[in-house]
Amino acid sequence: MSITAQGKRGVQVLNETLHALFAERDDVVLFGEDVLDPYGGAFKVTAGLSDAYPDRVLTTPISEASLFGVAAGMALRGRRPILEIMFGDFVALGLDQVVNGISKFREMYDDQVTVPLVVRTPMGGRRGYGPTHSQSLEKLLLGIPNIVVVAPSECHDVGALLIAAVDDERPVFFIENKLLYGRPIRRAEDGHVGELAVRESDEMYPALTFSATDFTEGAATVVTYGGMLPVALDAVTELVLEHEIFCEVVALSQLVPMELDAVLESVARTGALVTAEEGTLTGGFGAEIAARVQEAAWSDLRAPVQRVAARDGIIPSARPLEDDMLPGIEDVVSAVMALDGVRS
Amino acid sequence: MLEIVLTREDANTEYALLAEWLVEDRAEVTAGQPVCVVETTKATVEVESPGAGTIVQLFDEDVEVELGKTIAYVAESADELAAVDAKAEEKPATKPVGDRKATRKAVELAELHGIDLGAIEKRGFITEKDVEAVVAAQKAAAAPGGSAALAGVSTEGVTLPSTFDPDSASGALEPSQYDQLLREEAEFRALAPADKVSRLREYGAVIGDDVDLGEGSYVAAPRIVIADGVSLGPRATVVCEEAFAIGELSQFGADLELRCRRAYLGSGIWAGRSVRIGGGGHRDPWATLAIGDLAFVGDEAFVNVCRPVLIGREVFLTMRSLIVTHNVGHSVLEGFENRFAPVVLEDRSQVGLGAVLYAGSRIGEEAIVASNSYVVGEIPAGSFAIGVPAKATGSSSHKLSHARRTELARRMIHDFHELLALRGHAVSAVDDDGFEVEGTRVAFTPAYRGGADSPAVILTFDVRGDVPHGVAVLDLLGRQVHGSGGQVLDSVREFCRKRGIRFEPGPWRYPGGLV
Repeated sequence: MSITAQGKRGVQVLNETLHALFAERDDVVLFGEDVLDPYGGAFKVTAGLSDAYPDRVLTTPISEASLFGVAAGMALRGRRPILEIMFGDFVALGLDQVVNGISKFREMYDDQVTVPLVVRTPMGGRRGYGPTHSQSLEKLLLGIPNIVVVAPSECHDVGALLIAAVDDERPVFFIENKLLYGRPIRRAEDGHVGELAVRESDEMYPALTFSATDFTEGAATVVTYGGMLPVALDAVTELVLEHEIFCEVVALSQLVPMELDAVLESVARTGALVTAEEGTLTGGFGAEIAARVQEAAWSDLRAPVQRVAARDGIIPSARPLEDDMLPGIEDVVSAVMALDGVRS
Repeated sequence: MLEIVLTREDANTEYALLAEWLVEDRAEVTAGQPVCVVETTKATVEVESPGAGTIVQLFDEDVEVELGKTIAYVAESADELAAVDAKAEEKPATKPVGDRKATRKAVELAELHGIDLGAIEKRGFITEKDVEAVVAAQKAAAAPGGSAALAGVSTEGVTLPSTFDPDSASGALEPSQYDQLLREEAEFRALAPADKVSRLREYGAVIGDDVDLGEGSYVAAPRIVIADGVSLGPRATVVCEEAFAIGELSQFGADLELRCRRAYLGSGIWAGRSVRIGGGGHRDPWATLAIGDLAFVGDEAFVNVCRPVLIGREVFLTMRSLIVTHNVGHSVLEGFENRFAPVVLEDRSQVGLGAVLYAGSRIGEEAIVASNSYVVGEIPAGSFAIGVPAKATGSSSHKLSHARRTELARRMIHDFHELLALRGHAVSAVDDDGFEVEGTRVAFTPAYRGGADSPAVILTFDVRGDVPHGVAVLDLLGRQVHGSGGQVLDSVREFCRKRGIRFEPGPWRYPGGLV
């Protein structure tokens, strides 16, 4: 039975999945800042874990650069470490370990070792946490070969994704959007989420494709992931209800290595693409997808790819200013309306 | 009565999790007793009761609560408890998500027709199409057959000409005189143009001023309405079984052949020579032709009308293009297709040279069908379609920035100047925004705000203010002419027409000017 039950909050699913993983495998170890009970981590994802498994849940000092190295060492020696980085913004402190070590060991040592670690970390804003606790820095990871970046959305089987990440022999970044913690899971029921029809690909980290017309027609494809999915779904719903413009949405869960079959299949139906991400615009997720899709499907596109992203700037602490900075429903709606051949 | 308010424990947070109630709802609590656990991202705190009394909880456990909200009352007496009960009725409900599934268009259409959206059973969104289907089903049930003139064809996207009025009796001929008109065709054709007009008026037709019915032409219908300035070329033949109505300034070239039940032609239509309208089934009860205002029909175009053919406003149906509303073939009982269906060209659509529109075609607004394409079915609005069969491959137009429009308009001034110079007209050099020809200034300004020395022809995007006598201001985007002018204005209009910019009021073409 899936832990990712309808209506459970994201944090509850992640927490129960960790408990299940610890119960099932002895090699799983979790460490990070403030993860011990009774506090249970800044977002309570590890609640109850250290009480149940005191030997395998370790609290650490503020020392991210070292923690990545510790995780690498544990993974090289056959454990399955899960490193919790309290805020995704602090991943930058450990990037040298990732770029010059973790991602390279397997090839440098001719496949004799693997580095099966998981770095769990929350990304994303809309909580008023200010410039250094609100970013979506996935783009820093997009260009690193030989790692996996997984970002669940509230419509994915979040628990299954985390289990797959721990089972994976490759180093995996597991990006948890902060809003996912408090939001209810919305898995497809009877092939639908609300009024939108949903298809799920059969990869280890599946892509979800949503259609406003049961895949019969579409004016554009919106490709997104993680915490931007609810924004994109609200936007395509508004486009249908207010303008009778019918779009598809593709929610990737695997950002790296980038595999775009679901996007290309959708674009073949719709002929236009909008990318939507919460990170800043330049050199991001949308830029990479736009480049790949125009290369693979130029003849399918009737309009230039539109990108929706945060403005290239820093995230203000004040909520109204933060809202201006981050991409919202209206930004996605406007991007779709700006495409050639989209008329209401 | 005391309140328990969720205070801010963490400067970065707007919400906190009400993790757990430590006491039951309606429990007796004492001052300082911990009553609940609240979690923020940085802290977990116990909240204490501010005094003794009965606690009334306003939120469930395990929900996010906005900081500053009251989460419970502590009633210090029975009276207070009763007052609190009244307030607690207002316990915030969970906001329903996705409760709306009908689109705005669907809701509006359903209201218009008094349709209950709840009765439409469908997984997914309820759209305008779904409501239209219900409306069509209701209409079909109420009136089998429907209106013969349109035969149930949707006029969406089609601006019908003002002459379209199947119920009007205006211009009706005496039945006996209509019969006579049919009998004396040869004699009528031999009449001088002015005498043809007099004869038709005598019989009851409504004919405007300056109508030119060309040499050898013939017009017959039980109802005839011809507006001012209409011109039918030499040897034109118009025979309609019920009605023929045509709006002002519309003109057809030589050798028009028009036969159908009802022809409603708009104003400002420009049609070339040897246009043929009719063919098999033109006497069928559904043989209705409507052509919208300012449409263009090219030389040798052929329109078969046995089912409604609706051509919208400003449509281009160019040379030798072909519209058919039925096919001819082998027996339906042997499984061959036998198709009778209307053809609709929505407003501002364009059909290229030699293209064929098969029965059942519908060209969406502003769509373009490329030359020699063969259309079967619907071409989406705003698309560019090409091929056999025609497929939409792109957009018919693209959005222009204000700066780009301005650049194009300035370039038009230069191109017009060059053309006049090559034609041998004396033109002044082009200054900032225009030049002079024949003593008239021709200039472009993005926004016209009144004034200018006469005589002048001014092209602009935005007209406000009074236009003095002797000045003509052409609104390039609204495509309206303000004021008046002479030969230079006519030349500018002709020049603009060749760039797809036609102005109202006035006819299609301005031949004989400087260009």
